[in-house]
Amino acid sequence: MLSDLRISCSPHISGRLSTRSVMIDVIIGLIPAMAAAGYYFRVHALILISTCVIACVGTEWLCNLIRRKPNSLDDFSAVVTGIILALSLPPKLPIWTAVIGGVFAIGIGKMVFGGLGSNIFNPAMVGRTFLSVSFGMLMTSWTAPATLDAKMSKIAPENAADTRTQATPLAWSKMAIKNKLGAGTYNEHNFAGTITGEVGGCLGETSVIALAIGGIYLLIRRTIRFHIPLAVLLCAFVSAGIAYLSDSYAYMQPFYHLTSGGLLLCALFIATDPVTAPLTRRGMWIFGAGVGGLTMLIRIVGAYPEGVMFSVLLMNAVTPLIDRWCKRIPAGGKPSVT
Amino acid sequence: MTRAILAMDVGIIGRHSFRGGAHPPQKKDLTRDSEIQAGPAVKEVAVMLSQHIGAACRPLVRKGNMAQAGQKIGDSDAYVSAPVHSPITGQVKEIGLRSHAVLGRSTAIIIEAYPHDATRRSYSELKEQIDESKYSAEQICEAVRQAGIVGMGGAGFPTRVKIEPSPQTPKEILIINGCECEPYITCDYRLMLERTNLIIAGAKLAGRASGCSRVFIAIEDNKPAAIEAMVAALQGQSGGPQAPWGGGIELAVVKTKYPQGGERQLINAVLKKQVPTGGIPPMIGVLVVNVATAAAIAEAVLFDRPLTHRVVTVSGEAIAKPGNYYVAVGTSVSDLIDFCGGVTQKSAKVVLGGPMMGIALADLDTPITKTSGAVTVLTKEQIGGAKFARRQTPCIHCGRCLEVCPENLNPTKIAHAVKYNLLDAAEKEYFINACSECGCCSYVCPANIEVTGYIKTGKIFLARQKKKMPQ
Repeated sequence: MLSDLRISCSPHISGRLSTRSVMIDVIIGLIPAMAAAGYYFRVHALILISTCVIACVGTEWLCNLIRRKPNSLDDFSAVVTGIILALSLPPKLPIWTAVIGGVFAIGIGKMVFGGLGSNIFNPAMVGRTFLSVSFGMLMTSWTAPATLDAKMSKIAPENAADTRTQATPLAWSKMAIKNKLGAGTYNEHNFAGTITGEVGGCLGETSVIALAIGGIYLLIRRTIRFHIPLAVLLCAFVSAGIAYLSDSYAYMQPFYHLTSGGLLLCALFIATDPVTAPLTRRGMWIFGAGVGGLTMLIRIVGAYPEGVMFSVLLMNAVTPLIDRWCKRIPAGGKPSVT
Repeated sequence: MTRAILAMDVGIIGRHSFRGGAHPPQKKDLTRDSEIQAGPAVKEVAVMLSQHIGAACRPLVRKGNMAQAGQKIGDSDAYVSAPVHSPITGQVKEIGLRSHAVLGRSTAIIIEAYPHDATRRSYSELKEQIDESKYSAEQICEAVRQAGIVGMGGAGFPTRVKIEPSPQTPKEILIINGCECEPYITCDYRLMLERTNLIIAGAKLAGRASGCSRVFIAIEDNKPAAIEAMVAALQGQSGGPQAPWGGGIELAVVKTKYPQGGERQLINAVLKKQVPTGGIPPMIGVLVVNVATAAAIAEAVLFDRPLTHRVVTVSGEAIAKPGNYYVAVGTSVSDLIDFCGGVTQKSAKVVLGGPMMGIALADLDTPITKTSGAVTVLTKEQIGGAKFARRQTPCIHCGRCLEVCPENLNPTKIAHAVKYNLLDAAEKEYFINACSECGCCSYVCPANIEVTGYIKTGKIFLARQKKKMPQ
């Protein structure tokens, strides 16, 4: 009753959102991509996803225990990291590798910085980078989707002992740049494959449709804003377009670049990670453009076929600078010095 | 009459808005249909000597003196100040300290009502239209000053100072603010329905006193009945050749959004002009006056009645009888709550004002002042859902506070700068003083961070720091 009055600063009511609900939204947005991964890469995909999630959640729990911090698992951010990490792994990656990735992503990518909100780099990308630097071979052997016809061409039969492997579209692109084959050989059939997801690649990045459904859900829920995805895709398209126009034999069509590899997964789910992206709209445009441009630079000029991972990490590193540069001006203009 | 037809017929300006803002649940249906009723017949009132921005009043009465209803009992020689009057007839019991929602303990004149005091004031009514040209600007200003009128929307700036013409900042446009964007509060809404003519008269008088050539009445579009009442009343007003209807008063229907009733946001919504940061509306020739203040101006000028009573909305899920009451200034919040049937078991927080900007009371003997438009009693679930049950997580930089900030600030950066004692950065890089403390950032924050709280704290620290530093 009125004997125990609560006192606090205004406002005394608050909206329904919580960090947990935001994270759950992201998980819901990732469900189509997970479903596509399960469809194309079968049970192993689901095992990988759950392994990564368990590894991430377990690591966060352990770190909290060691640091004697209150349990922070109920915000579900570790689950999101686990899913995104899993979706950016090759389908046939051994389980133990995925565990290492998960532990590294949360332990080094997030908890050493102080947990949620304090990390500089996207934890999932930190984990993936660690894996691709440490286990390069495992991280670049791609299996063909289980739904794919057996008569499809195999680019690297020497890798395939018992599983069928298939080159990713971007591996094709790299071959084309090295002029072993023309970019045009990457034909319309493969383009259709990248839309549905029936193509080699990481677990979650292959199906454009699934990613788009999840992304649209997040946009409608306003969990992410359109600025970063649009900037990433636009800048990637323009960079790829310039390359294509300069030499259309060696370079893939810009549309292929957008639909293949992890670009869409990155644009919608990785670069939009609020913790590691700038706050202001102007900053978001710069950040997104940087991610898109760097990705294309690595894909076209660099040694790796895929550049999403490194470009996200590089832009994460400059996020504080972007935030410092793109300050908001009050609606009434800067206050005059009195 | 539908709103669409209204807009065509009388050329309503609008429907405008500002950038940012939030949509907290309105909850106005609790009291929207309850007519303004007489408030409690109190035995004792505590009239605060400082109910406004500016110099506090000196008491004009002593302990043991008799005070007539409407008698001036406190005044000040300072320009930015407003006198206070006794709302009841009684004896001055003491001049002592009472809790003030903002100022803490401050001086009040406590008047004990005579046992048979039957002077229960009711709100003046105005049937016919007035001819404001009968009153000179000086006359209006003086009446407003003598009646002790201050901004009744919450800020409490002395109205005389506001409306008096000033050669440095000539005023051209007057906006009567009937937005009432805070959840729960309906006192201005009822006033617009029940005292429409009084508000229009006040608008005309304020316009005449300040020399404003254009007068707008701004109402949020969630109050169609108030808009209709206002249009009907305005259509009855005679206008000059330039103003074919409404006697030169225009109606501006603005979008329902919090904080639409904020002075700076309202000016932006109606006129598409931006008040400079740190500046005041007269710098761009605009004047904003709350509807209750306008009604008080009319009461003061036409009926010579000082501001001793105001309409207070008592609302919230935890009050037995929510409603709008015409309450004597100085009535304690506990008297008012008792009058409304007390609180229910679920009550947990009593807020003077609305839930977005109101102040949670620690002492229910806090008296109602000229600026308190509402008492909101919130339940445990409501505040539990808001601030107690849900765990606060670190800021995830989601940017929602940036999106809702009506002043286009970076609330999370300010809050963190204050948290880590970087007041200089908060002021010079993130413009902490441009914040209007509307509370949108805290409201939307998914991490449950008291962003507004940090900003308010930072402002106080900054002000203290500046005081210490030699200029």
